[in-house]
Amino acid sequence: MTKRPLQPFDITLRHGKRYQWIRRLFLGFSVLLTVGLPMWHLHVLDVEGAGIAGDSRWAQLSSWLPATPPPFLGAPTSVWVIFFELVDPLEALATALFRGVSWNLVWTVLPGVALVMFLGRFFCGWACPYLPVLAASNAARWLLTRLGIPTADVKLPRVTSRVVLVGVLLVGSVLGVQLVPIIYPPAVIGREAFRAVFYGSLGAGAFLVLAAFLFDTFVSRAGFCRSLCPGGAMFATIGTLSPIKVHNERSKCTDCTVCDVICNLGQSPMQNKLDSGCERCGKCIASCPTKALSWKLKIPGRDE
Amino acid sequence: MNRRALVGAIAAAVALAVVPKRARAAPQKKIRPPGALPRGAFEQACIGCFRCAEVCPTKVIRFPSAFSLDVATPYLDFSDRACVVCMKCTQVCPTDALVELKADVDVVAREVRMGVPKLTRSTCLPWTGQGVCRLCYQVCPYPDKAVEVVGPQKAPLFHPEACVGCGLCEEACPEIAKAIVIEPLP
Repeated sequence: MTKRPLQPFDITLRHGKRYQWIRRLFLGFSVLLTVGLPMWHLHVLDVEGAGIAGDSRWAQLSSWLPATPPPFLGAPTSVWVIFFELVDPLEALATALFRGVSWNLVWTVLPGVALVMFLGRFFCGWACPYLPVLAASNAARWLLTRLGIPTADVKLPRVTSRVVLVGVLLVGSVLGVQLVPIIYPPAVIGREAFRAVFYGSLGAGAFLVLAAFLFDTFVSRAGFCRSLCPGGAMFATIGTLSPIKVHNERSKCTDCTVCDVICNLGQSPMQNKLDSGCERCGKCIASCPTKALSWKLKIPGRDE
Repeated sequence: MNRRALVGAIAAAVALAVVPKRARAAPQKKIRPPGALPRGAFEQACIGCFRCAEVCPTKVIRFPSAFSLDVATPYLDFSDRACVVCMKCTQVCPTDALVELKADVDVVAREVRMGVPKLTRSTCLPWTGQGVCRLCYQVCPYPDKAVEVVGPQKAPLFHPEACVGCGLCEEACPEIAKAIVIEPLP
């Protein structure tokens, strides 16, 4: 066998399994909501509206769901849960720039901002419905390499995503429309899932997801998340001072590079070089053969 | 944070503070859900969360499928069914792009203007002398205000200033006539 560079698919997650399973369950729940909620709503409409929704083939698929309205409403980026609202910080910022700040907006964005300030960019690794697409892209890269087809891995500078973030807000302002829901993957995937369930068709957003998949597969590994996504830039900025960090106990480290390879976001746990781009997926910790990596509470501005 | 990043951050903050206030673009004319902010303001406030469409009992709230800047904002499609003026969509909007309204006849009459009815008299049954139809008058939530019937054949006469634009008349208008269309606000 010819020597190929190590890829994430070659690496087994040895320990920290509970963390990984909790993360996967959380992500699974997020994906389930993305598709399941529209199905549930469709079913409720079908029952209340005497079969009005029945013209969609999803109506049959969702016939087993309860006929009472679900306790959730809305997209992954803006969820209503029973009695309170959660709005994505990026969409809240875009709204505030246009409409000014309102108490309503502050209350709905506060829980998310507080979580991100503490946990960092965790949404990207724990809840983003783009993650299954990213996993598929990594699998495709692995397969292409095995077949001898080279894939590029262009490393755009991380600042690109911040430029995209400001650019999207500015261009949207000039055009007078919200651009964030048009290009921000959680919003796009949520809307496309809803559209597929409700109307049985996909819209223009599906092309964006496909383009991101192709970009990640052929041009830059996880390139969209790492260096283009405005939401990722937003979370990274808010979570800059997050105290939860991956720490490398250098005395146990054998410099095997496994952790650096498994990281989707170009962090370097091996050299203890992690910044706000870390999505707290914990895969570097789980993959380390010598258990050199662990979570550590680091108060910002205090060096040890 | 180094100096370059600081300068960049300040420049971005200033630009973001100034540009949105100066932005003026002409959005497309579309029929928006009830309680929608005025054209322009609505496109800026809506984050495309599709909650309004999820609760719409007649599924008339749609999202465009083609590439356009309107792709994430809801519009009303009256080609199949009509708005039943339940106001549920206004009650779930997270950014108040749809201003919350009660499903109250008077509140709706005062606050809601989704579109304006346009009657083509050349195909309308009473106006062409093909019979007494009155279907639009019968389904209208505001009979005698938004639409009244005149003459021996009870031909409809619309009053756009009193019409909420729910499209029930468009839905009711017989297939052979299809004389009523709700058009976007001018």
